[in-house]
Amino acid sequence: MISKVLIANRAEIAVRIIAACREAGLATVSIHSEVDRDSLHVRLADESVCIGPAAANASYLNITAVIAAAEITGADAIHPGYGFLAENAHFAEIVQECGLTWIGPPPDAIRAMGDKANARRTVTARGVPVLPGSSEPLASREDAVAVAEGIGYPVILKATAGGGGKGMRVARDPRELKQVFDTARHEAEKAFGNGDVYLEKYLTAPRHIEIQVLADSHGKVVAFGERECSIQRRHQKLVEEAPSMAVDAELRQRMCDAATEAAAAVGYTSAGTVEFLYDDGQFYFMEMNTRIQVEHPVTEAVTGVDLVLEQLRIAAGLPLSVRRRPHMSGNAIEFRINAEDPVTFAPSPGEITDLALPGGPGVRVDTHIYRGYRIPPNYDSLVAKLIVHGTNRKEAIRRAKRALGMFVIGGVRTSIPLHLRILEEPDFVEGRLSTRFMERFATRE
Amino acid sequence: MFTFSELCELIKLVSDTRIGGIEVEKDGTRVRIDGVPCPPQPDLRFGAPLLPPQFATASQLAAMALPSSDPAAAGGLGGGASAEENGFLFVTSPIVGTFYAAPSPDAEAYVKAGDFVQKGQVLCIVEAMKLMNEIESDVSGVVVRIYPENAQAVEFGERLFAIRPS
Repeated sequence: MISKVLIANRAEIAVRIIAACREAGLATVSIHSEVDRDSLHVRLADESVCIGPAAANASYLNITAVIAAAEITGADAIHPGYGFLAENAHFAEIVQECGLTWIGPPPDAIRAMGDKANARRTVTARGVPVLPGSSEPLASREDAVAVAEGIGYPVILKATAGGGGKGMRVARDPRELKQVFDTARHEAEKAFGNGDVYLEKYLTAPRHIEIQVLADSHGKVVAFGERECSIQRRHQKLVEEAPSMAVDAELRQRMCDAATEAAAAVGYTSAGTVEFLYDDGQFYFMEMNTRIQVEHPVTEAVTGVDLVLEQLRIAAGLPLSVRRRPHMSGNAIEFRINAEDPVTFAPSPGEITDLALPGGPGVRVDTHIYRGYRIPPNYDSLVAKLIVHGTNRKEAIRRAKRALGMFVIGGVRTSIPLHLRILEEPDFVEGRLSTRFMERFATRE
Repeated sequence: MFTFSELCELIKLVSDTRIGGIEVEKDGTRVRIDGVPCPPQPDLRFGAPLLPPQFATASQLAAMALPSSDPAAAGGLGGGASAEENGFLFVTSPIVGTFYAAPSPDAEAYVKAGDFVQKGQVLCIVEAMKLMNEIESDVSGVVVRIYPENAQAVEFGERLFAIRPS
């Protein structure tokens, strides 16, 4: 049983989780750093505790402080949101050892998928296709070159502990591979405290297509269909949609089966996402994100299932409320609105002096900002997510233009103008997407 | 009866010597003047409606000169470190946890209001995840006020003690 949930996060996802808790009739505790005292998640939670200074490693990443906040407020469950401690297996274990319910996957599943080389081996054993590459961390430059010869260039080096583009390097020939090997190792060491890298075949213009899964503690795994997240900049997603223009019913079934296998392979429970690269009729397992994702509302829009509410049900030991893959109805697109310059992408923190949120049919906005709110410079620049839903992709695009055009955020620069330009781009309108979309878009501009 | 100037003289005496107080009787009129720990130079930038210190009682002074324990109302304090304001030094909680005034439930409190403490002396314990963190004083001085009740939950940066440095 769960009765009071501590949300170990901030910003829009903390507000999103509070919303799910309210619907479930659960009390909420928010935590905040000193600079987040006036944040919306603090105002909306039943209780709030200041756990540290602005620096995330002393507050939102401070395990002792988060647990102490749960103890002093009597919270009996912790939802980590995404980012911060969400994929920290050690934290998940401590939460459980303290007798609290962890609203997330089992620590062992987080660990198994967190080590990228291990994840590759695990899913391969279940017949899930992976990109050709090294199954073990590379011992040396010479080792890397030998593996690359076997699979053909270009290749990409990735950190085994990685994510977010850190420690990733592309090489087109042996000379370049030798050059970037140490850089990738060094970057991985700095970012994750683990310099191990592995190597994969590099696809020049693949699509990023991921499958949402939910699994309960009764052994039921349900795949929810795909989201296409090819529009990225420096491995950060900007626009996500469902369904993907590239996926037909047959491919969807195969990808959902593969995702279900991957989740089952590690004894997964809660919400998770299996990410694939897709190119020329083939899909390859990339990694599994063992958390609720930023873009989860896209799937919520087309399936009508509240994924965060399902996470609460699963953590409480209840079975999934959905027994098999729900039908995807219409098309949904999410736009990440960041407080940053729409051209240079430079962060733009500051006070929100004006705010008008769009609404109407097929429009959802997830946000934590309000008029007078001051965006601190210490964290992520995501300030809002606009999710539009239409009976088909054309209608979704029309609604997106209408909603973005009526979205007013004063005082800071945002990516709204960038999204309006992407919506005019013929490749976007026609659905000709790849992870190179933003590079080409920038070149054309 | 005391004359006004006599009263002023008595108050000045108590104030200057910083003694605990004085009680005198003259012609059947008894006057008691309590000595109080007060800011030597009230800083009016903080807008507290301070009377001249010698006319205030200890409790009035505490209410007026010492901002509330709510860090937000107090303008927010840098947690963990001690902050100085109005001539007082505020010891704030470096961690979120549970405040304990004494080393064990049946032991004496580490300190009480009015005590003189040495720099480095343990003032209290803040417990987080079963770890007892001893909070020490950054200065030598007199403990003027203890904000939390025993066993009360405290946030990061919350005021624990006001100390008048000596």
